[in-house]
Amino acid sequence: MDRRSGSTVALIHISATIGIVYSCQAAHNPIAYKEGAMIERNTLKPTRKSLMKSDPALFSAMVAVWISFAIFIFLPLLRLVMTTFVIDGTFTFENMKEALGKSYHIKALYGSLILATAVSISGTILGYIFALAVTRTTLPRVFKVLLGGVTILPLISPPFTSSISLTLALGPNGMLLKAFGIENFMIYGFLGTWISETLTYFPVAFMVISAILNTMSANLDDAALSLGASRWRMFRTVTIPLSIPGIGNSVLLLFGASLADFATPLILGGHSFPVLPTEAYLMITGMFDLRGGASLSFLLLIPALFVFLLQRLLIGKKSYISVTGKSGARTEFAKLPRELSMVIAVVCSIVVAFILYLYAIILWGSFVEVWSVNNSFTLRHYEYVFKHGRKAISDTLIIAFLSTVIGSVLAVIIGYIVQRKKFIGKRVFEFSSLLNYALPGTVVGIAYIIAFNERPILLTGTLSILVAAYVFRYYATGIRSVIASLEQIDPALEEASLSLGASSTRTFTHITIPLIIPAVLAGMRYLFIHCMTAISATIFLVSVRWTLLTTRILESMTELQFSQASAFSIVLILIVFIADAIMFYLLKLSTAKFHKPQEITNEKIGA
Amino acid sequence: MNTLRKAVSLVLLVAFCASSAFAAGAQEQVETGGTLNVYSIMPEKYATTIFEEFTNDTGIEVNFVRLSSGEALARIIAEKGNPQVDVLWGGPADTYEAGILEDVFAQYVPSESQEIPARFRSPDGYWTGIGVIPLTFMSNTAFLEEKGLEPPTSWNDLLDPAYRNSLQMADARTSGTATERIYSLVQALGEDQAFEYQKKLHQNIQLYTKGGAGGAMPVATGQAGAGIFYIVDALDIQQQGYDLQISYPKEGVTYGVEAAGIIKGAKNLSAAKRMMDWASTERLGQVMVENRINYIPTRPDVTVTNPALDMSKVTLLEADASWKGENRSRFVERWIDEVVQQ
Repeated sequence: MDRRSGSTVALIHISATIGIVYSCQAAHNPIAYKEGAMIERNTLKPTRKSLMKSDPALFSAMVAVWISFAIFIFLPLLRLVMTTFVIDGTFTFENMKEALGKSYHIKALYGSLILATAVSISGTILGYIFALAVTRTTLPRVFKVLLGGVTILPLISPPFTSSISLTLALGPNGMLLKAFGIENFMIYGFLGTWISETLTYFPVAFMVISAILNTMSANLDDAALSLGASRWRMFRTVTIPLSIPGIGNSVLLLFGASLADFATPLILGGHSFPVLPTEAYLMITGMFDLRGGASLSFLLLIPALFVFLLQRLLIGKKSYISVTGKSGARTEFAKLPRELSMVIAVVCSIVVAFILYLYAIILWGSFVEVWSVNNSFTLRHYEYVFKHGRKAISDTLIIAFLSTVIGSVLAVIIGYIVQRKKFIGKRVFEFSSLLNYALPGTVVGIAYIIAFNERPILLTGTLSILVAAYVFRYYATGIRSVIASLEQIDPALEEASLSLGASSTRTFTHITIPLIIPAVLAGMRYLFIHCMTAISATIFLVSVRWTLLTTRILESMTELQFSQASAFSIVLILIVFIADAIMFYLLKLSTAKFHKPQEITNEKIGA
Repeated sequence: MNTLRKAVSLVLLVAFCASSAFAAGAQEQVETGGTLNVYSIMPEKYATTIFEEFTNDTGIEVNFVRLSSGEALARIIAEKGNPQVDVLWGGPADTYEAGILEDVFAQYVPSESQEIPARFRSPDGYWTGIGVIPLTFMSNTAFLEEKGLEPPTSWNDLLDPAYRNSLQMADARTSGTATERIYSLVQALGEDQAFEYQKKLHQNIQLYTKGGAGGAMPVATGQAGAGIFYIVDALDIQQQGYDLQISYPKEGVTYGVEAAGIIKGAKNLSAAKRMMDWASTERLGQVMVENRINYIPTRPDVTVTNPALDMSKVTLLEADASWKGENRSRFVERWIDEVVQQ
């Protein structure tokens, strides 16, 4: 019964994806170009004509995307707002007043802001260091592969798993503290949460920034060096400024992720360091207070909006175009000064060693009879996982696969529209697309149940609700990296293709797509990983029909089955690691292809 | 061409949105009478065993998801218009009392209900007790030896500075175990004294955990020295082989009643009633005893073999579910304002 209805839903989603691809191609159809006379660069102001007439393809794509926003972003939010602000049919601030009236909640607001700021800064710095190590140093290839592999470990495991091993390492009586004889180190509070979230989220920064570093034109490096700049000066005046879009995106993503994360502070925050999502979660799950929890989470929208605007200002109107198709032969990136490379190598080694140590704890835990009491080897826990967890494994894979495909297609459309098109309400459009991501998952989860539990859109208990929750929450990275990538690509490349007579579809598939593919794949990796590991929204959406690996792990944790939870985590990590390796390989392939702009220009445009 | 494409893309997108809704509807119609959908607050490993026995006895298949009591109730309330499950299984009776106020439970008096003492079931038939779990102190043997302490036998023993930064117990905002602790203290010491006591106790707290059993593993591994748990969680971790001491305060403890009840608007009502009937028989208690699931059965005629569940020497304080339900939020708010934020 499960499977049959499951495949129906799957089929529907696949057909929907095809539909979106259609509108995506349509969206790219820049009619203006065809009409030769009115070549419209996106730097020009929009014409006064109605959008429908000037660019019908864009118009139809916009309508389609707005409809999906209306259903999966605005409707749940609206229902949630009504739950928060409407009591017995009248609008009231009572719930909000009550939530804000408590000093503990104000403390939580500050806590959230401080934590998110700290994590976005430390995570971006660490991510930048790792990205430099991989793209701009002469460190051995093996070391770079190790960095790439190890950094995704924190990302591909549910955040609470690493929090637990962090507690075992640095918590009271922790193994590392004992080994180094450190006393009175208190992991519960800001410090532990900050360390854990930095380790969990810096790989996002690493992915976003290294994608940017990889797609810069190495010719600029050559130019700087041949004009007599030192390597230091080149790094300061070429590499860093060109990576600003990546840094900006990384800060925004990390700030948002930290702001919405409830699992880590739940385990490591302790009572002295409250944050808003945790407080909201506690109110909803503990006090049965949906209204209070919703009110608290509305406070989170303010910092989210603030960061979004800040990022706009930061990147501003400066031009970061470095891939123009006009450059000469592609050369290697210039390497960083040696002293800097050494520092980078040391920092990376320490972080990698620490991460490996944390995961060794989990691996070890999955093979022992009883954690820290009976350390004899057993495969018992894996037997349990494959016997009782099979459904969770296959459900999770189906959900993650569908979400990744649908999410990345949407991300390309939205990213393209936002970066290449001018239209009224663009900021609103972009912000709307990121709204579910900015909201804490707990709230999205609750909003989804409230909104989709009644006809006409009855989705509770289905595959669709889980897929929709993931897609509209985690395609954010995809959108951001598509935008960041397009920001570096001169529209002249597309114009050249069009003016040389290639059709708009051909231009999109042969010029734009190949150019942004590294960014799309980077976004896909993140989306897939999130669909496999995220829990905050979907813990409310799993049903007796569709369940997830992460909820099984959390279950095992709360049932004190540490070994079983570890075995589940290891299986999950392996699955994600393999899938991710495939995507990483594809990314490599596409970047390699992209690294020869000469060929692209000749072959694709000249055709 | 463009118009065509535009039309196709729009139609497909609308189809995408609408179809999901239809798919959901279709999914429901496949439902048959031989299955039962359940939210279980009782830990998954216990629920799996108990539901397997239920299926053996009745032929009714059980699909279930395990949720914490707060999550389960929040979901049932949110799903009120279109209930996704038929039965809520396990979880403290005061969760059910809170649910009754939201009108999410159906009344049903199971067949052998009269065999269960009245204090273990809802007077109006909204829920039926399936197990009893007193609170207990659990301490790490190595920790006690290192500090030269005996297992605590009074609430005041836990105020000893030797426990400084060494106690882990549940957070009252999330955990039924924690509210049970407050009920115990209020019953044993009186309300104001109970909060005075907790302010002092706060000095020794290392961490308030979100789940009731959350501190058990840290106590077992020596990360924390001691904590207060439901007997079922304490015995469970002790059974895994950790060296732990279980003791009771002489002033007494209250106990939780683990309950089960039918959701209002249940789609498989007859199967749900059969589950409640089954739960009211001796059979449930026997399944628990055989599988070392350490709830004390609500049926007095079930013989309990585990000596740790012998309550004859323990001071048990009475606190009925409606008193707990009425005072719960007030106690939790007092706890936040006076204890956590001091």
